[in-house]
Amino acid sequence: MSRILIVDDAAFMRTTIKMALEKAGHVIVGEAENGMEGLSQYIKLKPDLVTLDITMPVMNGIDALKAIRKYDNNAKVLMVSAMGQEGIVREAVLSGAKTFIVKPFSSEKLIQTVEKILSA
Amino acid sequence: MSTNYSNEPLLDMYIFETEQLLGQLEQLILDSEKTDGFSREAIDEIFRIMHTIKGSSAMMMFNGVSNLAHCMEDLFYCLRDGKYESIDSSYISDMVFEGIDFIKEEITKIKNGDTTEGDPLIIIKKINTHIKELKGDVSAVSDHQKEAGAENLQKASQSENSQYYPKYAYKAVLHFEDGCEMENIRAFSVVHNLKDITSELTHFPEDLLNNECSEDIKKNGFQILFRSDLRYDRIQEVLLQTIFLRKLELTELESEEFNKPGNIKKPDHNNPAEKQEAPKTPKIKTQKESQLSSSHQNILSVDVLKLDKLMDLVGEMVIAEAMVIQNPDLDGLELNNFQKAAQRLDKITKEIQDMVMSIRMVSLAATFQKMNRIVRDMCKKLDKEAKLVITGEETEVDKNIIEHISDPLMHLVRNAVDHGIESAQEREASGKSGCGTIMLEAKSAGRDVLITVRDDGKGLRKEEILRKAKEKGLLYKSESDMTDREIYNLVLLPGFSTKDDITEYSGRGVGMDVVAKNIETIGGSVLVDSTPNSGTTITLKIPLTLAIIDGMNIKVGKTVFTLPTISIMESFRPKEGETFTDPEGNEMIMVRGNCYPILRLHQYYNIATDITDFTDGIVIMVEHDDKTLCIFADDLLGQQQIVVKSLPKYIRDFKKIKGLAGCTLLGDGSISLILDIGGLVYG
Repeated sequence: MSRILIVDDAAFMRTTIKMALEKAGHVIVGEAENGMEGLSQYIKLKPDLVTLDITMPVMNGIDALKAIRKYDNNAKVLMVSAMGQEGIVREAVLSGAKTFIVKPFSSEKLIQTVEKILSA
Repeated sequence: MSTNYSNEPLLDMYIFETEQLLGQLEQLILDSEKTDGFSREAIDEIFRIMHTIKGSSAMMMFNGVSNLAHCMEDLFYCLRDGKYESIDSSYISDMVFEGIDFIKEEITKIKNGDTTEGDPLIIIKKINTHIKELKGDVSAVSDHQKEAGAENLQKASQSENSQYYPKYAYKAVLHFEDGCEMENIRAFSVVHNLKDITSELTHFPEDLLNNECSEDIKKNGFQILFRSDLRYDRIQEVLLQTIFLRKLELTELESEEFNKPGNIKKPDHNNPAEKQEAPKTPKIKTQKESQLSSSHQNILSVDVLKLDKLMDLVGEMVIAEAMVIQNPDLDGLELNNFQKAAQRLDKITKEIQDMVMSIRMVSLAATFQKMNRIVRDMCKKLDKEAKLVITGEETEVDKNIIEHISDPLMHLVRNAVDHGIESAQEREASGKSGCGTIMLEAKSAGRDVLITVRDDGKGLRKEEILRKAKEKGLLYKSESDMTDREIYNLVLLPGFSTKDDITEYSGRGVGMDVVAKNIETIGGSVLVDSTPNSGTTITLKIPLTLAIIDGMNIKVGKTVFTLPTISIMESFRPKEGETFTDPEGNEMIMVRGNCYPILRLHQYYNIATDITDFTDGIVIMVEHDDKTLCIFADDLLGQQQIVVKSLPKYIRDFKKIKGLAGCTLLGDGSISLILDIGGLVYG
């Protein structure tokens, strides 16, 4: 069981991720709608893992990733990307994202990825 | 995909969110059109919206929608680079609208539980062609940039190539899991992780930025050749941390072997270091400055059905409360404490009611904004110029009412553009500015909301209306007796249409009367006013809410009726001689010098009662749309809040009793009929 923070501007995606991870016994400690909120939630909640969407208003996923990593160099961040975002995902990898998952994904794949990051 | 958990709530959420996003998108495009072109913020926002729709739709496996959204996202990704000087924003808007319409249709199908077999291929092709055209514009520039970038990197990597050789050399082949997507970037991430602990790293495929190399990696694996000071097991440990790794082949090479060609299959370039670091990264800028972004709100979305249910329950509670407090068993008892408790209950019930009402209130903004699109589309088609000015869109009305006025409003706005606003030449000839104005305004007035659609077009032609009405036998009194307003309001009668030719948008002869009918079903009314050559104004008067109203109970014989308190002007007992009969036999009453017709309820509904003399009963003066009627009943019973229930279907449809708006339950459990003042006044 791990404490997970979900950052995504689409309520639909947040719910999808939440349902899948909760099924696997994880606890969703927080949800945020943009990078800025995600960062402040991260500092407040200190989750074990963050799922971070890339395209968001106010502060996008890359900037949030950089900020989170600046605050906590060991932060475990799973980027949630979509097809066609190769360039941005590459930047995320350079900025310290543990890995990324590409929409559309199955709940199994998500759980598997999250668990791998957590066990690494 | 997501089959292993219930999709229902997700689907609802998907539909809700996507519809909201589409609305935002539409507004953004319309705003952009007004300002001649897309601002940086708008492009970012549109891009983000398309991106979200794409992701969500892909998750729900609505591939048509997802593909189309992807394609539109690409388009705005291109625009985002901002290199293109000649952007045909009007053409782009048209394409995006086409896309929006497609997605909307699909969403409707999803809502109805139909399969979404729509194919957006045509739109996608169109957009892709446009993207190619755009890219064609700048390909020369970007090639040049690429070369320059590569050159710089080459220099950098050459200077890094130092004299020192680490101890060990390795070859690794990595295979990723099937379907992990973006293999090239995953490979890139492996290279990135090895950067600090290796040197002289080469890999195949070389160009990891080229998305097509993902196929190679899938087929042959990702091959890396490097030197490092670390031992085999350390290197293996690092590589095994790769997520989505299916298989790893790691071999240690002899130093001489390392430089042999042939180590990596198909290395077709002698200087792989050149491309090791990617030259360019498409960056997305922060959107901090974006004012368009939605702010966080503590808002919960609730199923409307639940709210309806809650409303019903509160209604039942109001009735139950009345049943307790006005219980006949209590008659004649002196119950001080009970009265106190009853008052408190009454107060709380009212507060709950107000709160539930306020939850159901929705602002008119979304409904009004929809009209922008209609005006735009029609102006384009009809080759007219008109702008829509919206005021008071923050006014709130009951959710149920919004649903009822959306269509009529659309109709009125269409009419305004089609029949009201003239062509630019005509306008200029009559001394007006070429661009017509349509005002859409909402404001609260007591328990009503007034919605006005006003155009500055040519106005209604009185003579034409009279001629038509006469032709169709719609005149109910002589021409000379009619006020201008009464004449204009003739257009609301069923079967009336002033335009002979029919356009795509309006004038099919089922126009205004349908609007009037729709508005009447929710207890509202329509008023038409017009001034020749300066425009037409149509006002919809709409009740704030339908469900609970203040009512006055009256008695006729043994029957109880309820009148909406709002329409009662006054009630009084007539004196001898105030009433008289006009030459046609209609009973009238004289009040402060004005004559009003009297309606005997007992006669109208054929109810047996002892009170038939005006001086024994009571007269209630009611008003509807500036028309006044005096209703004669036996007695007033008192005022109370009533919950409006519609009449059973068979009474409504088969009996067709005039003048009834619905029914309600009284405190003693008996049923009271609610009178429809409008129906009585015009009946």
